[in-house]
Amino acid sequence: MPTFRRLLGFLRPHRRALWGSLLFAWAAMGMTVLIPWLVGKATNAIEQGVKADILPLVGLILGAAVLRLGLTMVRRVVAGKVSLAVEFDLRQQIYSHLMRLELGFFDTQQTGQLMSRATVDLGAIRFFLGYGLIFFSQSLLTVLLAGTVMFFINPWLTVVALLPAPLVVLTAVRYSRQSRPAMQEVQQRIAELTAEAEENVTGIRVVKAFGQEDFQLLRFQGAVSRLFDQSIKSTRIQAFFSPLIGALPQIGTALILLLGGHAVINGSMNIGQFTSFYFYMIMLASPLRMVGMALGMAQRAVAAGNRYFEILDRDPEIFSPENAPPLPSGGGAVSMKSVSLRYSADTPEALSNIDLEVAPGTRLGIVGASGSGKTSLVALIARLYDPTDGSVSIDGADLRSIDVTSLRRHTAYVSEDSFLFGDTVASNIAYARGEATDEEVHRAAELAQAGEFIAELPDGYDTVVGERGLTLSGGQRQRVAIARALLADPRILILDDATSSLDATTEQAIRAGLAEVMKDRTTFVIGHRLSTISLADEIILMEAGRIADRGTHSELLARSALYGSLITDDREVEPVFIDEEVEVMR
Amino acid sequence: MSRNLKNPKRYRGEDRLRKVRWVLGLLRPYRKRVVVMFFAVVLASATSLAPPYLAGRAIDSGILAGDEQALVMTVIAFVILTAAYAATRYLQTYLVGWIGVRVLQDLREEVFKHIQKMSIGFFTRNRPGALISRMTNDIEALNQLISDGIVTLFSNILTLFGVVAILLLLDWHLALITFCVLPLLLVTSLVFRRYSAGAFKETRERISAITSHLQETLSGVRVVRSFGQEDRHINRMTELNTLNRQANMKTVYLNATYFPATELMTAIGTGAILLYGGYQVIYGNIQVGVVVSFIGYLQLFFDPIQQLAQLYATYQQGMAALDKIFGLLDTDVEIVDAPDAVDPGQIEGALSFDAVSFSYATEDERMDSVDQSARWAVKDIDLVIPAGETVALVGSTGAGKSTLAKLVTRFYDPQRGAILIDGKPLAHYEQRPLRRQMGIVPQEGFLFSGTIAENISFGRPDAMIDEVAAAADAVGATGFIERLPEGLETQVGERGVQLSSGQRQLVAFARIILTGPRILILDEATSSVDMQTERTIEIALDRLLADRTAIVIAHRLSTIRRADRIVVLDHGEIVETGSHDELIAADAYYARLYNAWTH
Repeated sequence: MPTFRRLLGFLRPHRRALWGSLLFAWAAMGMTVLIPWLVGKATNAIEQGVKADILPLVGLILGAAVLRLGLTMVRRVVAGKVSLAVEFDLRQQIYSHLMRLELGFFDTQQTGQLMSRATVDLGAIRFFLGYGLIFFSQSLLTVLLAGTVMFFINPWLTVVALLPAPLVVLTAVRYSRQSRPAMQEVQQRIAELTAEAEENVTGIRVVKAFGQEDFQLLRFQGAVSRLFDQSIKSTRIQAFFSPLIGALPQIGTALILLLGGHAVINGSMNIGQFTSFYFYMIMLASPLRMVGMALGMAQRAVAAGNRYFEILDRDPEIFSPENAPPLPSGGGAVSMKSVSLRYSADTPEALSNIDLEVAPGTRLGIVGASGSGKTSLVALIARLYDPTDGSVSIDGADLRSIDVTSLRRHTAYVSEDSFLFGDTVASNIAYARGEATDEEVHRAAELAQAGEFIAELPDGYDTVVGERGLTLSGGQRQRVAIARALLADPRILILDDATSSLDATTEQAIRAGLAEVMKDRTTFVIGHRLSTISLADEIILMEAGRIADRGTHSELLARSALYGSLITDDREVEPVFIDEEVEVMR
Repeated sequence: MSRNLKNPKRYRGEDRLRKVRWVLGLLRPYRKRVVVMFFAVVLASATSLAPPYLAGRAIDSGILAGDEQALVMTVIAFVILTAAYAATRYLQTYLVGWIGVRVLQDLREEVFKHIQKMSIGFFTRNRPGALISRMTNDIEALNQLISDGIVTLFSNILTLFGVVAILLLLDWHLALITFCVLPLLLVTSLVFRRYSAGAFKETRERISAITSHLQETLSGVRVVRSFGQEDRHINRMTELNTLNRQANMKTVYLNATYFPATELMTAIGTGAILLYGGYQVIYGNIQVGVVVSFIGYLQLFFDPIQQLAQLYATYQQGMAALDKIFGLLDTDVEIVDAPDAVDPGQIEGALSFDAVSFSYATEDERMDSVDQSARWAVKDIDLVIPAGETVALVGSTGAGKSTLAKLVTRFYDPQRGAILIDGKPLAHYEQRPLRRQMGIVPQEGFLFSGTIAENISFGRPDAMIDEVAAAADAVGATGFIERLPEGLETQVGERGVQLSSGQRQLVAFARIILTGPRILILDEATSSVDMQTERTIEIALDRLLADRTAIVIAHRLSTIRRADRIVVLDHGEIVETGSHDELIAADAYYARLYNAWTH
């Protein structure tokens, strides 16, 4: 119930419109209930041969119908507006909340789960708040009004006629509860099948190379028949409930025909009253079903609401204190004091007791085996995580005391996987500085050795890349990501294995560009190639979350066996030539 | 059914009627169920027509005549027919659903098989997304047409004609008056459908834009955070959200006009029936029950018209999908086994190129080109590789290294010349048994979602787990596999994202060891890995190259040196061959490259 209350809270800003739409809905329903009563009156007049009464009654029916038209139109528009406003608010709220949550939160969540919160659950909530409530109250009112009119005509016949009503409602509740999850399950199977199809198309060269077409077909057939089974399950539910809900109210109609007919023959009821009853029964079938469906919707909305609020109630752990000052000006001095980092209570420390002073303008190389804490260390500098113990400061300011956004404007982080957005190459490069001119974008691309291949793309800088566009090779993506970081003009530049997919020749060329931009900033370079590391003035060697050693390349090489084993100093095994066939459609 | 599918070319062209007939042909294997389904549709439609008539009968022959027995009989008939309606509607809904998804299952598999048969060139010409759509979205759109479309058409027309017939029989004067409302309803419905189709399409596009923005910013959350660009994305979302609201508002206005309007038309119909019918009753021409039946039928009359109006949109979408599916099935498979192709049996692995030229462009495109030589990806290649020799292909981007490798595996056929294995041209053999004896390691080893064991045994799904483990051991992959939470049974994720690039390569190597091919084609990975992994890979490479013919697209000097012979390519032609030392001594092309790399 608290969840339900909170859900209703989303309607508060729109309560006037909501009440208005309810009022209109009820008035329209009044007209709808009036019509069968008038039809009954007219039938009586016809049966008794009172010709003069027919035309006025028909006039009243048409009048009621026109009035209903107006009322319903207004009701639909107002209710639609409310529903869409609620949807708008819900989406804004969850999205801005997700954007505020710290990176650590996303490490523990699957993207698919979050997507489902923000789409499926959100849909269930807004559908109930936007339509379900109105349907429910409108349908309930119809049943009550019609029931009252019927009751005044003939109380005991009303009781008999409405006998199947609870059954209809209950059946509809069950239907609504079962059919939606079954349909979502079908969507899930379709998604799995799509993934299977995708893998086969993108991996077709491997399939063909191993002559495994038949085996892959079997796999695909498995996915297809899983979809089939689930579709049949969903069909069965529909096939069972839908005719049942249609037929149940007919029991009431049959009883009306039998007992009401009997009453007319007895003379305890007139034919007009009988006709009204008959048409009320026809009219009630759909509101009864609606009441049940809306109850089912409410249940789903509460379940979805629980999951939705779980995210909304999760406070961001990394945020700027109130009125936090921006990062003070400076040359990019980084200082870490007894820093430890633990990602969660049940994992070992990723960083233990790190003390590190980096002078402004230093180019610091970081070397270590995988899992030694290199990435964790640099992630602290952009305050992607907060240390569990100790403090990190830049140019004398503790990161926790300054504005996070201003901090991140002055740091640029390039990771190995170099994620690009589904947008043009130019927009991707200008990601951190949307106002950058074309010249600046091109200059950044040139420095990152990306200008040449971009020029060869079908639409040059305007080529759309990513999922909906052209697929770039790993090396090309890395160069665009480097250009993006260079254009950001950061005080502190972090290159986390950012050139691993480049061949030696390109890497060599990029070094010239990097050396130029590194001049006035503090740079952290993670890598294992000698050529990469040789960019650094000074190197720290990481081992099991600690700084094991610090010195120049030759110093470390002389005194650390571990260092020697990690650095690829052998030009023989460096990739020299890479076929970068741009995947142009032929 | 499969007969039709295998020969869809008979229906090539824009002839829609024939395409529809072809779709109907898909139903053939299930004709018994189809017959029962139509039987159910007819019965369900017929029984749905009974209640208003029976109510009228109850009034006229029972109630007004004071005949209790007739009333009871009518109510009994009412109950029986209602039960029959529920039963037949159940049968109808179930069978329509069953047949629909069944036919789609067949069609999906057929499209999948056809795509599988296509040669690699086809996959470079077509975007993966489009091909995937053929197997998913387009089939779903066809489902609408097959299950909903056909049945909606049939059952609604049946209902409509049923109502018309009953009304005409009850009283044709009153019936004609009632029909006057029809054109109005029909026109309103068609106009509504026309506008709403566009509006609904727009809402779907808007919501999918929102979903993909959401998906993208969630997957790229690290980049968003590290550049502090949250506000920009929130603003973008507000924009998309607003557009979505506006698009949906259009449908709200459309619905708010159409549905109340049809309600008004029902009321107008009711009024007309009461007025005219009422006078007729008073004049003694008809009975009261007839008037009640007519009003009861009014609703039964309106639903089918509304649904039929909607059918047009379903038809159009289904047809568009059908055109796309046909477009695919009509595409011929380029590389097929010759009728007299033979199973190669165990091959030796001697490989030779005899004056081979190949272009990705078609003959016409090549002729159109001003600079003809530039259009050849490889040109006049003569090369003999004895069984067991390792050849390294060296050259810059676009020199033709990977093209040469693709020709050996017969992903493409050369336009000129021939490639021979054990002295016989490739076309002499059946493709699949030949390919099974060729091991291909693509760059960054493509992995399928599934476990590591499944990926290693990809070429031999029936391999025992100890064989898989032995293969992993042979390439030195056991070390990292043992450190994974579930060892060989660890899921690698989509395309193996859970593994590092070095680990993916080792798995791809183990895959080759397990199939034990005679000829190996290796496109060496380009990304640099740390020194320890590099050493492991080198040792694995030695195991891989031993005792087989190998063509290696080499990216590292260490690999080039491993080769028995180096073939240097430039602009699609062989410029030099020889061992490393020979080529250095020759002081030509390769020597220049080498000097450039090492300085």
